[in-house]
Amino acid sequence: MGAQESTPRPARPVLACGEVRTCLLPTRDAVDERAAETLLRLRADERVRVSRRPNRCAVSPDVLTGVDCRLPTANGAKVRAIGTVAARAVLTEGRVLQSTAYFAAPADGPDSRRPWGYYLVRPGLLVPVGRLPAAAVAEGFLAGHRPEELDVGSVAESLLARISRAELLDYDTPLNTASTVLRWAARPAPAGSEPSLRFTVGEEGLRTVALRLPEGTAPAAVAGLCEDLALHDWLLTTVGDKLDGVRLGTDDQAAVRKVLGPLVDHLLHLWMPRARLERVLSGLWDALEETPGFTRQWDALAQRIRDQLALRALLARREALDARLTAR
Amino acid sequence: MLVFAASDKGGTGRSVTSANLAYHRALDGDDVCYLDFDFGSPTAPAVFDLPDVLTEAEGKGLHSYLKGKTGEPLRVDVWARTEHPVLRTRPSGSGRLVLLPGDRTGGEFVTDEENLHRCVDLVLRLKREFDVIVVDLSAGRSYAMDLALAATAPRSALARITTRWLVYHRWTRQHVMAAAELVSGKQGIVRAGVAMGHDETALSGAIRFVRAAVPDLQSPLWSQARPEQSVWMHERDRQLEAMAAGLGIGKTRALASIPLEPVLQWREQLITYEDVVDSRVANLETWQAMGDLAQRLGDDKYWGQL
Ligand SMILES: Nc1ncnc2c1ncn2[C@@H]1O[C@H](COP(=O)(O)OP(=O)(O)OP(=O)(O)O)[C@@H](O)[C@H]1O
Ligand SMILES: [Mg+2]
Repeated sequence: MGAQESTPRPARPVLACGEVRTCLLPTRDAVDERAAETLLRLRADERVRVSRRPNRCAVSPDVLTGVDCRLPTANGAKVRAIGTVAARAVLTEGRVLQSTAYFAAPADGPDSRRPWGYYLVRPGLLVPVGRLPAAAVAEGFLAGHRPEELDVGSVAESLLARISRAELLDYDTPLNTASTVLRWAARPAPAGSEPSLRFTVGEEGLRTVALRLPEGTAPAAVAGLCEDLALHDWLLTTVGDKLDGVRLGTDDQAAVRKVLGPLVDHLLHLWMPRARLERVLSGLWDALEETPGFTRQWDALAQRIRDQLALRALLARREALDARLTAR
Repeated sequence: MLVFAASDKGGTGRSVTSANLAYHRALDGDDVCYLDFDFGSPTAPAVFDLPDVLTEAEGKGLHSYLKGKTGEPLRVDVWARTEHPVLRTRPSGSGRLVLLPGDRTGGEFVTDEENLHRCVDLVLRLKREFDVIVVDLSAGRSYAMDLALAATAPRSALARITTRWLVYHRWTRQHVMAAAELVSGKQGIVRAGVAMGHDETALSGAIRFVRAAVPDLQSPLWSQARPEQSVWMHERDRQLEAMAAGLGIGKTRALASIPLEPVLQWREQLITYEDVVDSRVANLETWQAMGDLAQRLGDDKYWGQL
């Protein structure tokens, strides 16, 4: 058997892409660690990873979906890829649920389809048939798939749906919130240049993140970074939207009960960027702290909530006092 | 809360009244979405004044979603998109009002496991965002109704969401009989539900009737009638009430009675407060009846086994 005959190992990934969906876990109260493990036990043969510090976080094992289809490309080039998409779910503080579907791809692959065994030993890898135009696929992926092309969003969504059907959920959420979608694509940074991150908010609230990372960064680590981004972006969006809906003077008690109270009870303590990121990736957050200034925005929102609550308490006290004076 | 709007006959006022109900809940601060499951004859875009939505929904509506042709059904923000001059300014303190339109083409189709799952997943997703989910079914024992019954059966995840059924009928002999039959008849909702695993008491406790387009004999519209007419109408009204009670759909099981409204006689639309107090084209009683319906929908006092 010549060297050509042995199973060719695809080279390192030159591209990793994924989509994160973030939502509030549909229960009245945050769930405890046991419940989190039950929810995220997606496979019998692998454990749920839980950590308590710096915050409580549970991560499901990866589940794989086999695909053989075209990849989206910015220039319309037809690229077929075969392999598996990995998906996992993360639950932060028993309160915010995320699901990510992602894949990595090498620069080239065999010229024809191999038996499935070939792909199954490479979980989360999509092997192109022939060469992979990495830049065009990254760009096409962020722009969104066309019919018949790979749709990782639907993989992420069906994982979210699967968890949402779990018996222990009561669907009595303390707050109505929309879910968000964040799509990301990462390629190695060109030799000699720094890692970089470009975050954009597009149509219909779609977030996209284009990354250039150190060669050899594990796709799962990139997924972790993007889950962290998506979580904090979701917090900013959700709290911002809720506060915009509250008007001073209009039925204060209703506003406190329906919005301000639940925000304090369920979301305010969740802000903890880069809780468990690798050093290299953690540095990329700095750019977001400069513009748009994630933590600065969050602090301002948190202050607005406290001000509103303080003001309402003050008004309520004055009203009670007035009522007592007139009663005399 | 999940609300299914059903009726035995077509043209009862189910869609128009349900849309007004959704509007009132949103005015009261609830986040509301309205799902047009009346596949084949979607009227919601007209009622909410969204003329472009009919074509926009082609291939992207609920029908396509349930068939798996699109991952996410089209959503339309009514406050932002409506061409109704009054609705365009979203009232302070109001909640969201979102329409999920149906596809114009496609018609009825059979329930299978796949679209049942898709239906359940959609409702679970919407439940995270909305307080009230109104689903307008087609007239009669339709595919959409079977889907609704199957999706909310006790073993389904949706069984954990409060579900209420509104059965609309007009105030005539034929309509009253048909509505009673739709609920309690051999082919009715309750029997069909029980066959799918529903508990009979719980299911029938979650069904209420809404009388639509009822002539209010005290209103100027009718009180000006000739004495002979007036006597005749009062007599018929009394007989009808007795008949409804005999069929188990008397006053206690009627959640609301919506008066015959001249504006709705001419045009399928939302009745706004401006229509009542500014232009004064609509009757205050109609506005109030819609408000009562919206309020009672969420008031447990009006629900449960009687
Ligand atoms: N309270 C009312 N007074 C007068 N007319 C009404 C009233 N409610 C509804 N209508 C009118 O009755 C007609 C039928 O109403 P609608 O379309 O809501 O019925 P439907 O039960 O949804 O019918 P379909 O089965 O065809 O979907 C419409 O023209 C509507 O404007
Ligand atoms: Mg209708």
